[in-house]
Amino acid sequence: MENLQRINVKLYLQDPSSLSGEAAFRIFNAWIAESSEEVLVDVADYSHVGHGPITLLIGHEANYSLDSDEGELGLLYARKQPQEGDLSNRLVGAINAALSACRRLETAPELEHGVSFLGNHLKITANDRLHAPNTEESAFALRAALNPILDKLFAGGQYAVDRDETDGERLNLRVRSESDFTTEMLLTNLAD
Amino acid sequence: MNSTTWKETLTGQIDGDMSEEIDIFETQIHLRKQGKIEEKLFAETRLRRGAYGQRYDNGQRYDGSKNQQLRFPDVPTKGPDTAWDAPGMMRIKIPFGGLSTEQMVVLADLAEEYSDEILHITTRQDIQLHYVHIDDTPDLMRRLGAVGITTREACGNSVRNITACPLSGVCHTELFDVTPYAQATMRFLLGHEDCQDFGRKFKIAFSGCRHEACGLANMHDMGAVAAVREIDGKQVRGFELYVGGGLGAVPHQAQLFSEFLPEEELLPTSQAIARVFARLGEKRNRNRARIKFLIAKLGIEEFCRLVEEERKILPEDPRWTEYLQDLHAYDETALKDAQPLNGAAQDSDFTEWKRTNVYAQRQAGYSVATIALPLGDLTSRQTRKLVSICERYVKDTVRTTVEQNIVLRWVSDADLPALFADLKSAGLAHSGAGTMVDITSCPGTDTCKLGIASSRGLAAELRKRIATKGVELDEAIEGLRIKISGCFNSCGQHHAADIGFYGNSRKINGITVPHFQVVLGGQWRENAGSFGLAMGAVPSKNIPDVVERLSQRFIEERQKDESFQDYIQRMGKRDIKAMLDDLTVVPAFEENSWYYQDWGDTRTFTMDDLGVGECAGEVVSATVMEIAAAEREVFEAQVHLEDSDIDSAVSVAYRAIVRSARALVREQFYDVADNADVVVGEFRTRFFEKELFSPQFANYFFTAHQEGTLGLDASSAHRRIEEAQLFVEGAYICYDKIAAELA
Repeated sequence: MENLQRINVKLYLQDPSSLSGEAAFRIFNAWIAESSEEVLVDVADYSHVGHGPITLLIGHEANYSLDSDEGELGLLYARKQPQEGDLSNRLVGAINAALSACRRLETAPELEHGVSFLGNHLKITANDRLHAPNTEESAFALRAALNPILDKLFAGGQYAVDRDETDGERLNLRVRSESDFTTEMLLTNLAD
Repeated sequence: MNSTTWKETLTGQIDGDMSEEIDIFETQIHLRKQGKIEEKLFAETRLRRGAYGQRYDNGQRYDGSKNQQLRFPDVPTKGPDTAWDAPGMMRIKIPFGGLSTEQMVVLADLAEEYSDEILHITTRQDIQLHYVHIDDTPDLMRRLGAVGITTREACGNSVRNITACPLSGVCHTELFDVTPYAQATMRFLLGHEDCQDFGRKFKIAFSGCRHEACGLANMHDMGAVAAVREIDGKQVRGFELYVGGGLGAVPHQAQLFSEFLPEEELLPTSQAIARVFARLGEKRNRNRARIKFLIAKLGIEEFCRLVEEERKILPEDPRWTEYLQDLHAYDETALKDAQPLNGAAQDSDFTEWKRTNVYAQRQAGYSVATIALPLGDLTSRQTRKLVSICERYVKDTVRTTVEQNIVLRWVSDADLPALFADLKSAGLAHSGAGTMVDITSCPGTDTCKLGIASSRGLAAELRKRIATKGVELDEAIEGLRIKISGCFNSCGQHHAADIGFYGNSRKINGITVPHFQVVLGGQWRENAGSFGLAMGAVPSKNIPDVVERLSQRFIEERQKDESFQDYIQRMGKRDIKAMLDDLTVVPAFEENSWYYQDWGDTRTFTMDDLGVGECAGEVVSATVMEIAAAEREVFEAQVHLEDSDIDSAVSVAYRAIVRSARALVREQFYDVADNADVVVGEFRTRFFEKELFSPQFANYFFTAHQEGTLGLDASSAHRRIEEAQLFVEGAYICYDKIAAELA
């Protein structure tokens, strides 16, 4: 578990109809030109398939996608390149990057009617079956690293963490907080 | 306990040779990163392992108003014309399209962990994963290797995936099941010494019968169509063998090599063809390096004569016929008993799906169900759901198709309604397989460095429009095939379509506008029996109207039972062109800027970020490839020495010397045995005694050969490695001299 680098974080749209694949395509395309902190390469349109990415922004360090997996529309951040620090640092890095991307969409002037993401629901996936198989032992280790971060993220409030044990699924933890937060609040909490 | 690497985890689960090859490739990646392998050599090496470059690895991307330099990291490039180590495509060979559920699970895992959660089926039954980082490719290959899949020679100047009709073995019109022959040919030619020195790729297809589309034998470098002859009162199997077909910018219909090639001659003849192609095929001009150009230059009679001469001198190989003893090992069986579909009323969606997607097998009570995949894509989650579905209804009887779909064979007819319901819940129950809506497209500008226009964008748009008509499609046009390529290189097989398109562009008042060339009247059936004719370029945004108009006019003007091909011929190019004339007009940018964007893209169109393709591979001679492999072995020997494994260090260093010496000997004596005693003798006569090789370095070889590799101390081992390095240097110098003399 300590070697885990590929971490996915997904946040969910409050209103699934508020962000179309085409709008995401335009915005992601603009991000490539504006990006200064990471290498963003291209945008792919997968709106013809279901159960997965709709619009994908491919980067060197990480991918971002408007994602419809399990019928739930949201923004998926998928870290690919190694990050510095221990697992806790890497989890914070991935969560922070996902929240920042959501916040960027929420404040995108191109979206006339705006979008907002649920601040009380996220999914963390260990995208590495070698270093983090979907077992109770791995889940325990991931929770141990994640809990202090979630305590901070939700400002000490209550939250529940569930794992999908379905055969073939990657190790994943779905986190639901009892209180509502905005992505802005979550970013502030994480930075404190 | 978790292992720390996939290499450790999968020890013993991967075929020994394959495992070693992957380790070697991993070493080559490290060597490239250290700048110890030249980029051209590394590019061809990586291509032969299936790792292909993608658009934007030249570091340029058009953002809609200007060409933008990507902020790529400063790392060694992965080939000529690349600027950085950009994520690329991994092509995975699926011989004859055959997949097991175990393999599908691994493919889904790999798409999630290393790619973008999308599996893409290609027009040659491969599976491609995109946006894969080169550092991840060795583990990806290991995980595939553990379930019997290789990516070796999926790209580059090599024998590519061998395709076959997805209905082989269950088809009504086939003469026999070609599956075992396709499999045997793939195994025999994979990594074969005679297939390592081609100037371009070599594609092979198998077909069970002549009249259906099946293997598309007529558009392949080598196409084998099942044939049966009665000889001495016995039915004997063989093949009608075609050579020199191909699409590309200049399509060629294959020519008949043999009306009846007995089955036992299939592999030796393939080998002889490979040798003639390697020896005489063009190497410098990649645009004329496919075997079709060699055959056009020599004439088919002379080509056949050369192959026959080569065949006579081939050293006997037991693999030529061994597999024939076990042809039935490939026979498939069903999971369920054959049961008829009961007569209960079904909903209209099922009825429509069954009409277009279900093929009644030759074996009564069983069907082939086609999963029509939009643009050939399915997600990891869909793949996993499909695995569960397969486990409920069939055994490992799954195949990919050249129409970018997947078929499930041996479905009991009684299960069809339940299968449909399960596919529907996975988003995999699109009807219209093999009809006008089932459009084939290459990746085009989405990921391909050569793509000019968005073939996938256009395909998605056409699919959307045609699908809305659904059952209302007139039967005259329902079966028409639409195929789209992003450029003239024909990866979308547009020449073999009723209605084909390939991407190009035109300048309108100084602004580039995406266009597609309209190619009409190609024939899919009869193994891609004839190719279409170019009718003129139409702006990309008007292509849906082209399809609409052609369809409508064909319905209205068709003479009784007239085929689309016959209609196009009867109309003639002039009338067709006139029919489409108004659709070629592009409004000024200020009037309608929509025309200046491509389908599926929000940017203003450009061709400025076009890259240099890698389809042609890098022409690196087999000798240089071998000497480079020897050099890598010297590196490995050093690693062994560092690990204090002296015996391995000495033995690997010696192997490097023999390998590079043999590579040189093969320049003059192609069939030299892979045996150190023979190599040392031949090397002495041909290079040392003729003073073609440094005597000092040559003596390192002779001494090492005499003294053997055991019992040396660390200091002697170190010296041996140094000598091996010098011998390899000497081999490079010697080869350069020989090549210069030949030039």
